[in-house]
Amino acid sequence: MARRLLQGNEAVLLGALRAGATYYAGYPISPSTEILMRASVHAADHPEFRFLQAEDEIASANAIIGASLAGAKSFTATSGPGFSLMQEAIGYAHKVGVPCVFVDVQRVGPATGMPTMPGQGDILQSRYGSSGDYTSLVFYPSSVVECYRYAVEAFNAAEESLSPVVLLTDAFIAHLNEVVDLDAIEVEVKERTLPALASGQTRLFTGVLVYADGEPATADADEYLRQYEEAKARRLTIAERYAFHEYGWNTEAETLLIAYGITRRICQPLASHFALWRPVRIWPVLERELREVAARHRNIVVVEGNDGQYAGVVERVLRRDVARVPLLGGRMSLEAVREGLARLGLLAPEAVGPAGAAR
Amino acid sequence: MGFKDKLKEELFPTIWCPGCGIGLIMTQLSLVMDDLGLDEGNTVLVTGIGCTGRMGGYMHFDAVYTLHGRTLPVAEAIKTVRPELKVIVVSGDGDQASIGGNHLLHTIRRNPDITVLCNNNEIYGLTGGQAGPTTPQGTKTVSSPAGTTTTPVNLQGLVNTSPHAFYAKTTVYHQGALRKAIREAIAWPGFAFVDITSQCIENNGRRIGFPSANEMLMHYKREFRPAPPGSSALESHQLGIVRGTPEERAPAGVAAPSGGSPSRGEAGSGEGEE
Repeated sequence: MARRLLQGNEAVLLGALRAGATYYAGYPISPSTEILMRASVHAADHPEFRFLQAEDEIASANAIIGASLAGAKSFTATSGPGFSLMQEAIGYAHKVGVPCVFVDVQRVGPATGMPTMPGQGDILQSRYGSSGDYTSLVFYPSSVVECYRYAVEAFNAAEESLSPVVLLTDAFIAHLNEVVDLDAIEVEVKERTLPALASGQTRLFTGVLVYADGEPATADADEYLRQYEEAKARRLTIAERYAFHEYGWNTEAETLLIAYGITRRICQPLASHFALWRPVRIWPVLERELREVAARHRNIVVVEGNDGQYAGVVERVLRRDVARVPLLGGRMSLEAVREGLARLGLLAPEAVGPAGAAR
Repeated sequence: MGFKDKLKEELFPTIWCPGCGIGLIMTQLSLVMDDLGLDEGNTVLVTGIGCTGRMGGYMHFDAVYTLHGRTLPVAEAIKTVRPELKVIVVSGDGDQASIGGNHLLHTIRRNPDITVLCNNNEIYGLTGGQAGPTTPQGTKTVSSPAGTTTTPVNLQGLVNTSPHAFYAKTTVYHQGALRKAIREAIAWPGFAFVDITSQCIENNGRRIGFPSANEMLMHYKREFRPAPPGSSALESHQLGIVRGTPEERAPAGVAAPSGGSPSRGEAGSGEGEE
């Protein structure tokens, strides 16, 4: 197929189909709804692809878990409030080891917030949103073509790690239209490894800690640790194969900008002034890569659409202060970035320009 | 093959309290499964949180022990992806009618071909005996010391909001009726709900005046009667089955035929066998 104009949400759906997804369940919520609508249209023409518009996000999340255990590659898409409703099921999928994909198209929260201005406020929710300890794999593309590519990678990582993988986007990328040629993108697709339900075994898939025979191990710390460490090691080992990130721009600059998702695109006009490091794999944090890059720069600034969620993580990893440029209330613009950098004394005030000053 | 082949007897005794009614449901389910040739290659169990949810661990099937209240979306998705399988849900009244109530409402509407066995003991037993969604009004529990003040959920009325649904009412005392209800529910081409009154002696029965589980069973024997033939709805102490009209299902990708609302069927006869 030739080059075509494609929206971020559509690219996510096409990536999921490329990965072999055959089940979608979801509940309408802006700015993710195009994924649900496109999935319903696809299902109408493709009987092998099953679609459920569920009663809520809780049902959607649990339905994709059931579908996955039954043998289908499955996914859902939502936004902040719906993502919050899905957290219990995400914890269940981690505990049981269910491969599936949760797409979170972020908007400004908390709660209903500012529908549907773009935000990046679910960075920590995507890591710590469910109860207990678990190891999340989370990717965040920054273009339409990357929505396609990393949707495929999210399914691959889910299959390899046997865990729910989160694909973060935001209202900005979701509704961005760009010219892409999907056929030019080479992606590998990982096949299923988890035997489907009713393949002759008598397994117990449960959120309760149990021994291999299904008996409860609910007071056995040693068994908990054995299973927890095994799951964690598997996730971390698999994550190494998905260490997507980007380092570039003016790598001689004193100041390193860390920006991800749409924020990296917003900062693009500043490329001659700053170095850039962009994690695509948001979780687990690319700690080694981050330390290597950070050692080359005097100043580190995290520009993000929340009040320092990833900046705090970077500080923990580097054990040094990092500056913050939070882009809040949906005000994700170059002017806002320039203002923030000028406040930090890292960009001359005249570079901010009248558009920024007026806001 | 016998019904005991369906059970992981090596794990017995079960976690359930002496006198619990859940084992009576598991026995009848095993008998029906054996009769119908259901095995680990053609059937999946889906259970919910609560004492009843443990049943999946005691049976020789792949079983999905879901989060609290989430059996139905999981079961429906399994059936959607693998229509050749029998999908049987086993959980309690709290799981289905309270925390899972929204899923019950909407799963009834969608009418997937799944079977729900609801162990209705009218109490939250696992957590120690708090009032539940089907606790009769006025019942003193550990969370309603002056008696519950709310109307119980009308499961029959809820299920029968669909013209296509199957609703059966039985008790664990009436083993023949229970077996018949389970068998017909599994055979029903659509959503089938079996509402099974069952005793929780440890965390409810004793507090409301029953000296033993046997006294609770004798109470069910005295209280419940088969519905008269031709009943289209069951009174509160009647046993029976109320069937809707099976839904005409179009092949995937083909629009369903339009038609008028089918009328509700009649209660079957013979549900009162003991």
